[in-house]
Amino acid sequence: MLALSEILHSKLKFALIALAIGLIVALTMTLSAMSEGLVTGMTGAKGNLDADAVVFQGDTYLNLERSLLTAEEVERVRAADGVAEAYGVGHIFISVDAPAKAFDTRAFGLEGDFEQLPIVEGTGGMPTDGEAIVDETARADGIEVGDTLALTPIDRELTVIGFTENRRYVMAPVFYVNLKTYEDLRVASMFGAMAETTDAELPSATHVTDAVDGSVSVVAVKLEPGVTVDDLAQTLGGEFDVVTPDEAALAGNGMPVMVLAVNGIQVVSFVIGALVIGVFFYITTLHKTGQIAAVKALGASNAFVYRQLLAQILVLVTLGALIGTGLALGAGAGMPSTMAFDPRLDRWAVTLGLVYLMAFVGSLFSLRSILRIDPATALDHAEH
Amino acid sequence: MSLLQVRDVSKTYGSGRAAVAALDGVTFSVETGSMLAILGPSGSGKTTLLSIIAGLLQPSSGEIVIDGDPIHLRSSRTAAAYRREKIGLVFQDYHLIPYLSAVENLLLMPRLAGRVSAEHREKARGLLGEFGLEKRAKHMPSELSGGERQRVAIARALMNDPEIMLVDEPTANLDTERGTQVVTMLGEHVRGRAMTCLMVTHDGRMAEGADRILRLIDGRVAESL
Repeated sequence: MLALSEILHSKLKFALIALAIGLIVALTMTLSAMSEGLVTGMTGAKGNLDADAVVFQGDTYLNLERSLLTAEEVERVRAADGVAEAYGVGHIFISVDAPAKAFDTRAFGLEGDFEQLPIVEGTGGMPTDGEAIVDETARADGIEVGDTLALTPIDRELTVIGFTENRRYVMAPVFYVNLKTYEDLRVASMFGAMAETTDAELPSATHVTDAVDGSVSVVAVKLEPGVTVDDLAQTLGGEFDVVTPDEAALAGNGMPVMVLAVNGIQVVSFVIGALVIGVFFYITTLHKTGQIAAVKALGASNAFVYRQLLAQILVLVTLGALIGTGLALGAGAGMPSTMAFDPRLDRWAVTLGLVYLMAFVGSLFSLRSILRIDPATALDHAEH
Repeated sequence: MSLLQVRDVSKTYGSGRAAVAALDGVTFSVETGSMLAILGPSGSGKTTLLSIIAGLLQPSSGEIVIDGDPIHLRSSRTAAAYRREKIGLVFQDYHLIPYLSAVENLLLMPRLAGRVSAEHREKARGLLGEFGLEKRAKHMPSELSGGERQRVAIARALMNDPEIMLVDEPTANLDTERGTQVVTMLGEHVRGRAMTCLMVTHDGRMAEGADRILRLIDGRVAESL
């Protein structure tokens, strides 16, 4: 194979080309992982809900922070045709006085299905009152399993019983609690310590507590076989908005704009990568114009010459892919855990597929050049 | 019997007032097993004529017939196949592939045709031996002298047992002694294999090694000896 012979003969030159391709692969993979990490960090807790559909309060524009469903509405969803299982999910802002530094985040109250949380340390299952399972990125704030953390300014505490993963929301680690704890935090957030300070205000607090009882932000639904999200939306009517968890994840908090920007960054990196790889092989082809003319003059077809180029591209891109993957993994390993970096194998496989596609598209520039090389020039030496 | 017939071939580059006639009504034929030297000064049209016979250029008018086959009517694709199968081409600048050893350069020809067999390898080594290059078989072109490179290029042209050898200025980059050696070797191989050879040269001394000499001046046949 001529292509391989040429690579082996000019090892340094082709090693540098493979390295350059590797850097492009590493760049696109790192950008992909960072983009994915950004999206996961912003929406992981919503997007990873174990559900086929998420039911929001109508007209809240899929905004988790604004949606509020009463106990009666939760029951209506649960009883709707096509619903196999349903559990409420409550959302509440909390401020955590962590060992390293205090930070604002969210608590998610789950009515059930705590098994959906992958436990990376500690214990799983349903937390008891005052306990929480927390996204592992909270470790960066000095939080460890077994810590009891004060929540300010509401005078409540949560004890961390386990760490889960990929469950951040708006880049902060989510605290998963049971629904009773969620309700307690919600009431406390609304009244602060007021209920405990003045006897006169106790009736009001009790009234609010009663109103909050059983209410959640959204309902996560598992559908019966054959039932679609649209079917459920039609069944429930206009008082509710029904979407998939992925659609829920990409709604609110400026996500549509952010996703657009993230996709734009990835597209730009792919386009630039395609151009750079294409230009590499185009320049290589241009450097070999005389040689290609001679081989064509000897009787090589354009297809033969192009096959050699493709074989060379295949070898170099494969080397570049290995180098790039290694560099991207190394870059990821060197990043802090709170850094938005989520190397998903499926995305990287797509990235690698696109890199091969980019190289192929780039090779078309060279093919054009190969087709235009006149074999008669091999005999041309200022003589007619 | 004439293997190659060149009939009233003309070639004009450009058009209108910028037109340059490189060849003008060139006619000749070459017998099987003979060696023809095309002699002429720079700009006389020698290389253009060689390119047209090789199917690398289309003539503006006229015919090129090889063994009854009108080569000038072939498409670029079938012309490439024709060169691969019937023509042995030797370039002035050798055009050896720099990243292939001497023997691998010879094996390029069967590689272009599809596959390289053990027989091809044996044949390549045999040819290198005939040209006194058996010990240089694994050397890269950059490790060979000019004369050795030219001999490798000639051996490569012989790999596909061509009917016609087209040799462009084989001694242009060699001193007289080495040039004479190369032309002598070329003549021996051509006659020994009963093939036809056209050798383009501007050096009258080298042309004397051929069976016939065709002198080209300003694109016309000035003399046929």
